[in-house]
Amino acid sequence: MTTMTMAPAAVALHGVSRVFGRGPAAVRAVDDVTLDFPRGGWTAVMGPSGSGKSTLLHCAAGLERVDGGRVLLGDTELTSAGDAELTALRRTRIGFVFQSFNLIGALTAEQNVALPLRLAGKRPSRSVVRATLDAVGLADRARHKPRELSGGQQQRVAIARAMVTGPEVLFADEPTGALDSTAARTVLDLLRAMADAGQSIVMVTHDPGAAARADAVVFLRDGRVVDRLAGADARGVADRLGAWER
Amino acid sequence: MLGMSRAGLAERWTLFVGALLSVALGVALVQSSLLLLISAAGQSSDDAAVPMLGVVLGGSVFLAGFVISSTFAFTVDQRRRDLALLRLVGGSRGQVRRLLLGEALLLGLTGAGFGVPAGLGVMAVQTWLMRRFEFVPPGFTGEWRMWILGVSFGTGILLAVAGVLVAARRAARVRPLEALRESGAAARVMTAGRWVAGLFFFAGALALVIVAPHGGPAGGQAMAMNVAMPAAVAMVAFGPLLVPVLARLVPFGGGVLGSLARANVRDARRRSASVAAPLIVLVALVVGNTGAGSSFTASGVDELARSTHADFVVEAPVPAGAVPGVATVSAETALLADVTVGSGDERETTALDALVIDPRAYAAVHGTAVELSGRAVARGPGGEVPARGRVSVRLPGADLGQLPVVAAVPERMSGGASLLLPPGLVPAAALAQAPTRSFVALEPGADPAAVRAELARLGPVNTAGDWLRADAEQRSSTTNKVMLIVLGLGGLYALIGVINSIVIGAATRRREFAEARVTGLTRAQVVRSALLEAYAVTAAALVLGAVAASAAFFAVLATTSAVTGAATLDLPWPLFAAVAAIALTVTGATSLITSWSATRHPPVSLLAARE
Repeated sequence: MTTMTMAPAAVALHGVSRVFGRGPAAVRAVDDVTLDFPRGGWTAVMGPSGSGKSTLLHCAAGLERVDGGRVLLGDTELTSAGDAELTALRRTRIGFVFQSFNLIGALTAEQNVALPLRLAGKRPSRSVVRATLDAVGLADRARHKPRELSGGQQQRVAIARAMVTGPEVLFADEPTGALDSTAARTVLDLLRAMADAGQSIVMVTHDPGAAARADAVVFLRDGRVVDRLAGADARGVADRLGAWER
Repeated sequence: MLGMSRAGLAERWTLFVGALLSVALGVALVQSSLLLLISAAGQSSDDAAVPMLGVVLGGSVFLAGFVISSTFAFTVDQRRRDLALLRLVGGSRGQVRRLLLGEALLLGLTGAGFGVPAGLGVMAVQTWLMRRFEFVPPGFTGEWRMWILGVSFGTGILLAVAGVLVAARRAARVRPLEALRESGAAARVMTAGRWVAGLFFFAGALALVIVAPHGGPAGGQAMAMNVAMPAAVAMVAFGPLLVPVLARLVPFGGGVLGSLARANVRDARRRSASVAAPLIVLVALVVGNTGAGSSFTASGVDELARSTHADFVVEAPVPAGAVPGVATVSAETALLADVTVGSGDERETTALDALVIDPRAYAAVHGTAVELSGRAVARGPGGEVPARGRVSVRLPGADLGQLPVVAAVPERMSGGASLLLPPGLVPAAALAQAPTRSFVALEPGADPAAVRAELARLGPVNTAGDWLRADAEQRSSTTNKVMLIVLGLGGLYALIGVINSIVIGAATRRREFAEARVTGLTRAQVVRSALLEAYAVTAAALVLGAVAASAAFFAVLATTSAVTGAATLDLPWPLFAAVAAIALTVTGATSLITSWSATRHPPVSLLAARE
């Protein structure tokens, strides 16, 4: 197994394992994975369902406890961090985007975006929030509530919310999974532009088209990294995925 | 954070209306009971009113605390996903706690705002009931006190904040990852807190059951009447374990709706337990306390019937030997005495019933030996004075000074006079104004009709049997009135708590209902399945409430056996049947309305629109 060494890692996993259940029913969702997600790069994680790709993302983001190994965000050890430290990291150094948007329905787009800053005890300036919304092309929807927005728009608000704190790493779990192809393309364009501007992104997806927009693709099967690919097009990714799904 | 609280309130209004209602009515009930208690104590109305209002106040505080905390815990439970989301975007545990406490503060304030005027309405109803049943004089009114505003707002805020504290601690431990799961993953069924609370209250109920028989008639009755509350709380604490198990035993029928309902009860353990909780308390309190009350009354009546050896009771003095055919007359004159017991700091003066008797006649008629000579007195069946020692006795218009208590007749379940005085002690002037009742036993072979005719010239005559029956009826009607005042409004409040929890439960089930419908169920089938589920949970709650009530009945059996020698249980079955019918009707109707309303939109619109 070779380790990617193009740049110092944004997130590094060393021999990480995560086991669900115990005894004979135990499932090794992530099995001794050593992997670097490079700084300033966009890495896609692919694999058949049940391959452990979401669990890997959750472990890398400090959302899921690991049963073995170490997770490093920059030079911060996540595996030994307590709840308060992880909460602080979520406010400042980590951003999340999910398949189901997970916006707070009671708040407007603007308020949703400002929420991480307010939780961090900062008084977010309107201009910062507006600028972040503008960056995802939704400056004119600032006062709408999530239910008044389309799926693609909601996902862009979610990206704005994740980006408003200027995180070191953006974790995205199937960000286009609930979107139609047009909305998905808009979101992927946005992520591409962010990666080009130097944002580190780790994305789990099952869509070869989405994975092809990333700088590199890591393939997972049965909780292990089985393959990797850089600079491939959608067809190339799909063929490789198909090979591993067989 | 308060801004978020406000936004949260506006969004999840169905949850919060329920919580608000529980606070407002709880505050109203506590405020009214407190004002009436203060007013009754100030206006020196009937002696029975003050202790009864004390019980009403205690019950109101218990119910308010219980209903509010269980409603709040339920609403927090229903929002686990929202709270996890907050954690996901960087909210700390402290912030989640503060958010929930902030909401509780708002709800407490607003709830009290509604509760204060509602309390005036409740007070009008309670006053009317008490006047109607003659616990207070006709002119009695509950008086408004300015400081009650502070108490009511304090109560609202305190109960709301205390109610949410435990739930907030739990919620703060929600893991952020739970936001990603569709239904906010089922919470742990039995928490350590539930075990501790359940075992604690179970032990409390058990202790009361064990101690009650040793508490004498008054103490034993009081303890037995208090068993149902802790027993109910214990049942509620173990609810998530017990409710689904019992609900599964309810015959659903084999159809697809039955199995869906059964699966739902099993799956949503905490929801089932939350819906059952106020119902368990309602049933335990109403069934336990009315059952205990009527059993004690029946036990007292039986005891009196067994121990009274008389043929006629005359409401007038019957001089011995005045009527031919009469073997024994025990003429008993009732006086109200201020009795002082103890000395120094322990000195305590109470107004007690005293009975002037002829010891030998009293012994013959009531079957219990009393030996009195000189200034000696005896403790009567009502207890409340020491069996040996000295008491100071003041009668209206006569100070008897210190008297030695030399004997005691056994205390009775039905109570009675606390002091038995020999005839020579009381001045004739004091005796003349007091009512005298004569128990008359006939000579063998005497003609009852003739004797009765003779006795009737002295005063109203009843056969002993008729007199006992009338006495029993009066006692049980007093018990019933007390129960109505004590339990009536409280029961209504608990019933509203039941409705509340069903509405809250259904409000968050729209999506689940929609999923069932796109799977192929018709709207009517979804509603029917929800109804079956509601009935199963109601049946489980009825059983658990009955179990809690039976703990009280154990205490009743042990106490009546210890005091009267005969274990007595006399249960008002029609009332129990009515409670069960009302519970089933209310939960059924609420479930129908809420699930019908939750399914009014086409399912696709719900499943497509996702936040």
